[in-house]
Amino acid sequence: MSTVARATGPSRGYWTGFVIVVAALAAAPFVLPEFWQRFATEILIWGLFAMSSDILIGYTGMVSFGHSAFFGLGMYGAAAALLAVRPPNLWLAMLVGLVAAAIVAAFVAFFSTRLRDIYFSITTLVFSQIFYVIIFTWTDVTGGENGLTFRQPPLGIPGLFTIPFTRNGLHWFVLGVVVVSYLVLRRITQSPFGMVLQSIRENEPRTRAIGYHVERYKIVSVMLSGLFAGLSGVLYAIQNKFAAPDFVLFLISGEAVIFNVMGGIGTLVGPVAGAAFFLLMKEVFSRVFYEYYLIPVGVIFTLMVIFVPQGLLGAWRRQLNR
Amino acid sequence: MKLTEKWHDELWARDMWWSGKTTRRKFLGLSAAAAGAVGATMLVPAPWREAFGQAKPYKVGVLQPLTGAAAAGGKTALVGTQLATNRINKAGGINGRPIELVVADYESKPDVGRRKAEKLVVEDKVDVGEGGYLSNVCLACMPVFEEHKTVYMIGVCLDTTITTSKCNRYTFRPFDYAPSQAMAISPYLVKNLGKKWHIVFLDYAWGQSTRDAYIEQIKKNGGEIQGTTGIPLGTADMTAFISKITGSFDGLFAIMFGANAVTFTNQAYDLGLFKKAKYAGDGAVAESTHLAALGNKIEGFVGVNRYIPVLTKPLDTPYHKKFFDESKVLLKQMDPAGPDPDRYVQSNFEAMNFLKLGIQKSGFRGREDSMKLIEALEGMEVKESDDFPQGDKLLRREDHQAFLRQFIFDIKNVRHRLLDVVSRDKVVVPPACSFPKA
Repeated sequence: MSTVARATGPSRGYWTGFVIVVAALAAAPFVLPEFWQRFATEILIWGLFAMSSDILIGYTGMVSFGHSAFFGLGMYGAAAALLAVRPPNLWLAMLVGLVAAAIVAAFVAFFSTRLRDIYFSITTLVFSQIFYVIIFTWTDVTGGENGLTFRQPPLGIPGLFTIPFTRNGLHWFVLGVVVVSYLVLRRITQSPFGMVLQSIRENEPRTRAIGYHVERYKIVSVMLSGLFAGLSGVLYAIQNKFAAPDFVLFLISGEAVIFNVMGGIGTLVGPVAGAAFFLLMKEVFSRVFYEYYLIPVGVIFTLMVIFVPQGLLGAWRRQLNR
Repeated sequence: MKLTEKWHDELWARDMWWSGKTTRRKFLGLSAAAAGAVGATMLVPAPWREAFGQAKPYKVGVLQPLTGAAAAGGKTALVGTQLATNRINKAGGINGRPIELVVADYESKPDVGRRKAEKLVVEDKVDVGEGGYLSNVCLACMPVFEEHKTVYMIGVCLDTTITTSKCNRYTFRPFDYAPSQAMAISPYLVKNLGKKWHIVFLDYAWGQSTRDAYIEQIKKNGGEIQGTTGIPLGTADMTAFISKITGSFDGLFAIMFGANAVTFTNQAYDLGLFKKAKYAGDGAVAESTHLAALGNKIEGFVGVNRYIPVLTKPLDTPYHKKFFDESKVLLKQMDPAGPDPDRYVQSNFEAMNFLKLGIQKSGFRGREDSMKLIEALEGMEVKESDDFPQGDKLLRREDHQAFLRQFIFDIKNVRHRLLDVVSRDKVVVPPACSFPKA
């Protein structure tokens, strides 16, 4: 039912809404209590992770269950840089995290894109489990089950300034990275390259028939998606100052799929809204229903799939992609 | 009824808390009591009024996995915390102030654990932290407590690095760790069971560090290690790994816990491994809470543990009997089978009592006095008593690691039987911690 977005410019209303949402997120530290402020920052990070998986799920039509590997490798790459270099350097951590995620994404993409549909999903799941087992058991390097803990790097530009992150500062930094990532991904999905990805999603044999090298596009799509998932892993490491193998487990990939379904696939911002909705729902329900909180979460998810299959923002998909 | 964060709804806690039901009789009674209290407050001199005014509860933030893979262990561990709290509150609290537990379920996940720790210190504004079951979650939460200058008294986490390479000034471990356990049982293994050993371990951080500690101590006591076999955590079918355990050895030493221990014991027994070698291991292999699942397959197992639920000498004290009986009542509310208390119940119970003594000694009023509490706890020595039924303990100043006696036991008729007691001074390991500057 989905259609390739028309390459018309976005409306003024869209940009007005965009500015209002970003301004509200930027103002969040001033109005939210300390815990919820930190939680909002975490939601932004998971939102970026969800957005990255939307490139595959929503735009290329490939459901990946290996996204946790990209997130985790970004996280461990950043951790390695923060532990190896004194004093810890933010930009180096980001660079190493992104390179680690990109290498893994290239490796996974090379093998998994030869397959389609459920076979692609299973292959990505297998790869993420392989990386999980390696990280879990290679204790000397990765810390094994205990993971790695490290100090938060300061924000700085060499030669100009260096200041430690405050809680507000970290929120704005994460918000800046997420907004820039969104704009970049939006530009990519609306470019001719993005149109080819959507064409693959709609009809892969026809895309191939008109002369596009589908496998190459798929590889780049996985790599692009993996790169931004890695970036979210880096941000998570910087915020929380630890890396753990649990983040490489396929369950994290499953959460990315849930974020997409709840928020609206193929919209980029939908998965961010889905992540926020899902995480808030879990946090609030766990305070009300205690250890039974997953039951109402599951019921609501099921009801959403039945009654709002397009997700929270799915109805505005066409407008959001203009 | 199962234990939940609404633990104050449990039968055993009802006399500590308002039940939520207001009857006319209760209302009139409470009104009269309130009127009396107001009148009395007006009559007493100002300094006393101030003292009464300080009787707000100490908020203790408790982190346990009540859902997820470690839920069963987390709920058992919580029983120890609750038992100690019941007793403290019934005795009038600490310095006249009751304890209020704020329990957070971390779902057996480190990211959730970290978030919940943040919630406890930032939103609930707890005075101290307690609990923790999974080592990776404890390690993820330790920096949160440190950042907020809050004392964190760990209840179960066994990973060695908590009080060595990753130690911090705000974290205390009031129970033993693998290097001490290895020192305790290795002489017994080599002297009584055989010189040649094969070690089977869960192949992740805790299993690996514990394996290394046992290898070192068995060799130090004149034994030999014929081989080691790592089994990934959560492996449902271990036969492929067990089949690889070949060669000539006198004993098989298992480093396992929970469902993994049950799986390994069942499958190794079925494959006849225990006919050719004696079976020994970490005490967690044969915790009382899962002895029923092991049945007679665990018969003859020899292990080391800081706590075993037996009432023979030297554990036939009134302190232990009281702890044992009261724990059984609470455990039965959680599990109708009514398991005996295990080391998770014991260590959380004693962790709370360490906090009690530290608060009493330091005059701790709240988080602003954390450093006073730390200084009171550092080097604290406690004697076997109602508060410490396991025995005497030292909470070492240098690394905040406790040292205590160890029990060597075997399993006979699906029950623990005490074989030997290793005194505290024989299990002291040199400190390997340098606290980072606060």
